[in-house]
Amino acid sequence: MGTHKVEQLLIAAVAFFWCFLMWFATAAFSPSILVKFELTNTQFGILASSALWAAPILRPVAGFMADRLGAPKSFFIVLIITGTMSIVSSQVESYKWIFVTRAIVAMAGVAFVIGIQHVAQWFEEEEMGAAEGLYAGTGNAGAGAGMLLLPRLYGTDFSQAFLHLGIVAIIIAFWVIIRGVSAKSAEQAAMAKRTATLRDTAFVWTRYAAVALMLAYAMCFGLEISMNAWISGYYKMGFEDAIRALGFTSIEQVQIAAGTFGAVQSFNASLFRPFSGYVSDLFQRRNFMPFPIITKALPYSPRLHWLIFALLCVTTSMIGLTLAGLSGSVVLSVLVLALFGICVSFGTGATFAIVPLMFKERPGTATGFIGGISCLGGVLYPIIYGNASNIHMGYAYVAIAIFIPIMLFYIWAMHWDIAPENHGIGSKESWLGKDA
Amino acid sequence: MGGSIGRDSNYSYEPWYKYGLAFLYFEMLIAVGVTIFSLYMAFTGKGGVLGSGH
Repeated sequence: MGTHKVEQLLIAAVAFFWCFLMWFATAAFSPSILVKFELTNTQFGILASSALWAAPILRPVAGFMADRLGAPKSFFIVLIITGTMSIVSSQVESYKWIFVTRAIVAMAGVAFVIGIQHVAQWFEEEEMGAAEGLYAGTGNAGAGAGMLLLPRLYGTDFSQAFLHLGIVAIIIAFWVIIRGVSAKSAEQAAMAKRTATLRDTAFVWTRYAAVALMLAYAMCFGLEISMNAWISGYYKMGFEDAIRALGFTSIEQVQIAAGTFGAVQSFNASLFRPFSGYVSDLFQRRNFMPFPIITKALPYSPRLHWLIFALLCVTTSMIGLTLAGLSGSVVLSVLVLALFGICVSFGTGATFAIVPLMFKERPGTATGFIGGISCLGGVLYPIIYGNASNIHMGYAYVAIAIFIPIMLFYIWAMHWDIAPENHGIGSKESWLGKDA
Repeated sequence: MGGSIGRDSNYSYEPWYKYGLAFLYFEMLIAVGVTIFSLYMAFTGKGGVLGSGH
């Protein structure tokens, strides 16, 4: 079958966009669901957080599956299961069943890993940053698009929305399976399949470089999803008087303003991500490596330098959020939040411009680990923010106590001039045998 | 910090790349537009793109 890598990029981006749309559709209709099923705060909290439960466990499985079966079959399976469950969720009448069906639909979030693997199987090293960025940034925007458009298109009729989302997911599943091709060559697909074993998985999970990239991704994507859940509540709690002074007087209006500020962060974090991939390509093309200690000897070393720059930006902007919050100026805080979203996108785009190159033989397994376990950051950070003595201080605490040590570990893990991906707990030979 | 700048002139991008770049700039414009519009609407008390206005 004749195809082109741009068609494969389009297939992956559309499938991922739709999966993200389904993933966050529950959140988009949360006020209506809360009212229809008369949920308590606890029930609602559990339903909202259930969207994130599956990611750390199932993303590694999805990566393994993408290497074994190829991305088109993996996308097909995910879209059929989640699409069907979305249709079923449109017909249920009890909280118990809406919870079960939507928790299964939330599995759609694993699609990220499948598409990263797919793009890595098709694009050249020199264009990997932009290609992965375009894929992931466009797909991530599905979350923001859902939050903005679904309530406007369907009002409070979430059942109708879930039905239509499920039907379209099944149509996309058949498009993906008909037009998708696993890799640009049979040899490349075979190599990924050959390395998708439990031993290879254990090998990747114990590499210092993989752990460093996972922690780096927890610093950006983990942070992004934690802020999606946290930021609206932060503005309500930290700036309620200032928001009321802007003219938002009722509690509903304060929520609207706080939600709007949250959307600014989400859109910037998603839509600047392709640009970050492009900057990674630029660092690569110009061979730009300004930082000490981090190796300058690898073919993709400049991309490692762009990532540490991005992580420094994320850490600085976190401290900036605290300072802006302490100043009491909502305008300054929101402007810093917009910059913060851009910094986060620098980190996400920079990380996945490296992963497919460093773990070229095991793209799905590595992506599953790095993209999956890092989601735990989304659970951890809000707990720290919420327990800080002053609501504005949580960002600085996380930046100093967690992010600075992560950056130091990243710098150390990337100092080897030869194959940093082979250093870890246990040698390559001990995990994979002498022929490895 | 001793930087290292050079150019890899051996690689020429394929034609798709320039369209990819155009698309990523378009996405950035959307993000900037949403930010400006949201902030303007919010700070003038109109609810932003998420709100229905009041």
